[in-house]
Amino acid sequence: MEFRHADHAEALRTRVLESGVIDSALRNGAMRAGAGEDAALPEPYAALTRTIGEHSYRVTDAQVAAVRGAAGTDRAAFEVIMSASIGAGLRRWDAAIAALEEADDASR
Amino acid sequence: MRLAEVTRGDTVAHRLLIRVLSRVAGYRLPDAARVAFYDKAFAGPALGRWTQQAMRGESGWTVAERELMAAMVASWNSCPFCVGAHRAIAVHGIDPEIADAVLADYRTAPISERLRAALAFIERLTTDPRAVGAADAQAAMAAGLSRQDIEDAAAVASVFAVITRNANALDFDIPSAAEFDRAAGMLLRRGYS
Repeated sequence: MEFRHADHAEALRTRVLESGVIDSALRNGAMRAGAGEDAALPEPYAALTRTIGEHSYRVTDAQVAAVRGAAGTDRAAFEVIMSASIGAGLRRWDAAIAALEEADDASR
Repeated sequence: MRLAEVTRGDTVAHRLLIRVLSRVAGYRLPDAARVAFYDKAFAGPALGRWTQQAMRGESGWTVAERELMAAMVASWNSCPFCVGAHRAIAVHGIDPEIADAVLADYRTAPISERLRAALAFIERLTTDPRAVGAADAQAAMAAGLSRQDIEDAAAVASVFAVITRNANALDFDIPSAAEFDRAAGMLLRRGYS
């Protein structure tokens, strides 16, 4: 059976939570911060992930360099960035599905 | 691009592949492809599979319409790399003047009311997801969209919410217009995963 969009969304969420080289709490926190939630991440992670979620075009070299320094490797910094971006994407998918379900309920 | 290892590749095979593909293409392999090759054990392949289904899977939207939606998400998110890359693919199926009219203002561009309604839905989803509610879905349905049409447009908006943020956070190098055109041909032939 073909994967539906909802299956892909959940597969992506699972990959962030269950794979990667950085600590799972940091991946989860970055994903939540990218979604606009209060993830209580320490700096420099909080500033970068919040900026990615809200207005990614304002991310600076210094923000990425600070996370690269704190995380220790390019791979770890990449996973912080990717987790925050995925959080923003899944936030939008969840909002679309919630709106469709609300519309279904209203039409009953 | 920020993060040197993503730029050059994280395995010997990927470094070689990046060099060979750049030589064959005759231009620097775009950073989007380098990101797709990087850290394959993490979330990239899952994102690639969803992007492939959203952009090339069965849908009530044409490939060109979905590419134009992606370019619009990129425009709302101020991501010049993704605007250039996806406009270049969209114009293989949509008149370039119409694509540019949509990018300038989709509300007045000469497109179907159905596509306009999809763009209105994903604009709000992109710029203010907290505000999206039943009224937005009902407005799209009133313009003729099915539930599946809305899901398919929302999937494009969701994967490009991710891709545009990666592109901006990593500061992708911007290819020339000619390079975007050549890369568009490759993305039409090979897809996203």
